[in-house]
Amino acid sequence: MKRRYAALALGTAAALVLAGCSATTGNEGGNTGGSAEGQNITLWLMGGDTPDALRDYLKTEYKDATGGTLTIEEQGWGDALAKLTTSLPDAANTPDVVEIGNTWSPTFTNVGAFSDVSDLVPELGGDKLIQSFVEVGKVDGANYALPYYFGSRYNFYRKDIWAAAGKTVPTTLAEFDETVKSLRTDSQSGFYIGGSDWRNAISWIFANGGELAEKDGDKWVSTLSSENSQKGITQFAELFAGASLAPATEFDSTPWVNINNNEATGAPEAATIIAPGWAHWSIGDLAADPKDATKMVATWNDDVFGTFVLPGVDGGAAPVFAGGSNIAISAASKNQEGSRELLKIVFSPEYQTLLGENGLGPANLDYASALGDDQFAAALIESAASSKLTPAAPGWAAVEGAALLEEFFGKVSAGGDIKALSAEYDEKITALLN
Amino acid sequence: MSSTVATAPEKAAQKDRQVAKPRRRLPTPYLLLIPSVVILLIGMGYPLIWQTITSFQKFGLSQQFGQPAPFVGFENYLSLATNPDMWGVVVRSLVFMAVTAFITLAIGLLLAVLMTAVGKVVRLTLQISLLLAWAMPVVAAMTVWIWLFDRRRGVVNYLLDMIPGVEMNRFAWLENPFTFFMVACIIVVWMSVPFVAFSVYAGLTQVSDEVLEAAQLDGASAWQRLSFIIMPMIRPVIAIVLLLQLIWDLRVFTQITMLQDAGSRAAEFDLLGTYIYKLGAGSQDFGMASAVSIFVLLLTVAISWYYVRSLLKEDEQS
Repeated sequence: MKRRYAALALGTAAALVLAGCSATTGNEGGNTGGSAEGQNITLWLMGGDTPDALRDYLKTEYKDATGGTLTIEEQGWGDALAKLTTSLPDAANTPDVVEIGNTWSPTFTNVGAFSDVSDLVPELGGDKLIQSFVEVGKVDGANYALPYYFGSRYNFYRKDIWAAAGKTVPTTLAEFDETVKSLRTDSQSGFYIGGSDWRNAISWIFANGGELAEKDGDKWVSTLSSENSQKGITQFAELFAGASLAPATEFDSTPWVNINNNEATGAPEAATIIAPGWAHWSIGDLAADPKDATKMVATWNDDVFGTFVLPGVDGGAAPVFAGGSNIAISAASKNQEGSRELLKIVFSPEYQTLLGENGLGPANLDYASALGDDQFAAALIESAASSKLTPAAPGWAAVEGAALLEEFFGKVSAGGDIKALSAEYDEKITALLN
Repeated sequence: MSSTVATAPEKAAQKDRQVAKPRRRLPTPYLLLIPSVVILLIGMGYPLIWQTITSFQKFGLSQQFGQPAPFVGFENYLSLATNPDMWGVVVRSLVFMAVTAFITLAIGLLLAVLMTAVGKVVRLTLQISLLLAWAMPVVAAMTVWIWLFDRRRGVVNYLLDMIPGVEMNRFAWLENPFTFFMVACIIVVWMSVPFVAFSVYAGLTQVSDEVLEAAQLDGASAWQRLSFIIMPMIRPVIAIVLLLQLIWDLRVFTQITMLQDAGSRAAEFDLLGTYIYKLGAGSQDFGMASAVSIFVLLLTVAISWYYVRSLLKEDEQS
């Protein structure tokens, strides 16, 4: 009797276990031929950055070009790294074309996750493509990952608060730091930034001529302890302590909620923020959405809100983190021809223009004018021009995945000893870089 | 479900004694076992074997993409053993596991006893509320909990702030590890109490009224009846529920990850689950991640050893 119960229990256990590992199917029928004709392919897009209109355009154009179906699957940024790692090597489950964070390109290109598309590059835009993005997608002179779009970060500020305090738009980084520190009150950040928000914090390192990592011979070495990096980190720590009310552990925030008026108090919680350009859609005077009363919409108001580019140490623009994505064909994909067709559509003048019109920096800089000529486009182009990427080290994605930079800046922002922490994290980061 | 787990063997044992003793040895039971054993081997054996092998290899992203993986012997384990971060995580996980499991058990027991004591309407209300909490998808529940503890607009801070002399406005619960794990503990307890309460309640309904009545006639107080009659009778239920809680709370992952997304991803906020995830999926060091996983497996076996042994003993007796 007991044995039979045990059998039942085992069967149940097995069923539970199997249910736990649900199989992901969803790959298309087995078109393995050498022609793009009728190939059904899958494209992974990261997050919601690519608007629906652009997705529809890709699907329609792909259908027209090949007769096949393009399936677009959206992946969250948060677990994208894990999904890419497990799916890309697996011919049965790999997406055919993937958008990847530009900083992850070196990691995946170095392990051979992508197909060589060097022969296509001239046709796709050649020298006109944004070169820093092309560089991170190259190994030994061959192109594997190409730029998809670029974004950049600039400042949004409350004109009303700045004017009331008699402040004007700063022209140097030191002046910026001083101004936003003076704007902090008990209930308002002069400059709202999370203490672990390393993607913005590294601007202070870059602005002071520092680097996150440098190549020493054929090995990458983390350089938080270098003299210039130390200057930048110290400045950032002082800025955080003096100007921001955000928690030291905050790393991925939606700072625009702080610059809009708080519904409860009628006042904003931040006089200044730094955010990717598309944040301007979320900034402005809040009112109920006429289409959906449960939602609030923000309408930009030029009298209250303004933009400026983070100034450099000696004026000009500071090198901010170059946001954006690359795009590549999975080496394991069975639909290489169809994938190459899709790349041609992505790099077509029409699609590049569409990207620009939707506020995404087009990969082909010839179409940058499509961004328009309003203040957002101007700020995007100006900040992007001097923007900078994270090191092209093979292990960079691992550094991001291990959250070491969040940890480092969080501890620095909490008032830790900068020199000791830098030495400690240099060691931890260098171990992962190569 | 748990009531069958607890009582079926007893009933079965009783029946077995009634039925004529000598049993013919038929191969049927063993044949019937084959499908589930095969499924188990595929479902659990393969990953386990892969993981064990990987834990002795240097297995990174390039190996994932087809490079040969060199064997490094116990190198992964040695570097784990000498890594203070790892021991920090282990200690934190064990403390979290013990505290959370015992609080869950205590609250669950009290609720179960309460259910036997109250009237039908109140009991049904209680049971439905417990069921709702139990049925709530983790991600949905976590979103609400994170809102409750939100620094700026959370109800918790709002209410605490109303207490005179308590300054909790903008208190960042998730900013330091202690309050972070306190919040995590509250959430995990909230999520697992229904299971404990129902299991124990099911056990309590099996305690026969006659025995209790007899005890009462003999002059046993309510407290004495609870501690000397009811508790020993439902001891097996409590033991298995506690064991399950310990195991669940050791491998807790979703709740911690989601709290980390809202709070901090720094290493001080890691438990074993998120530590392995960071090593494997995050830094693509599958060799080390496997080594830690094997360690957790051994830890789980060690924790449940006592229970498994007593289970085996019972088996031998019957």
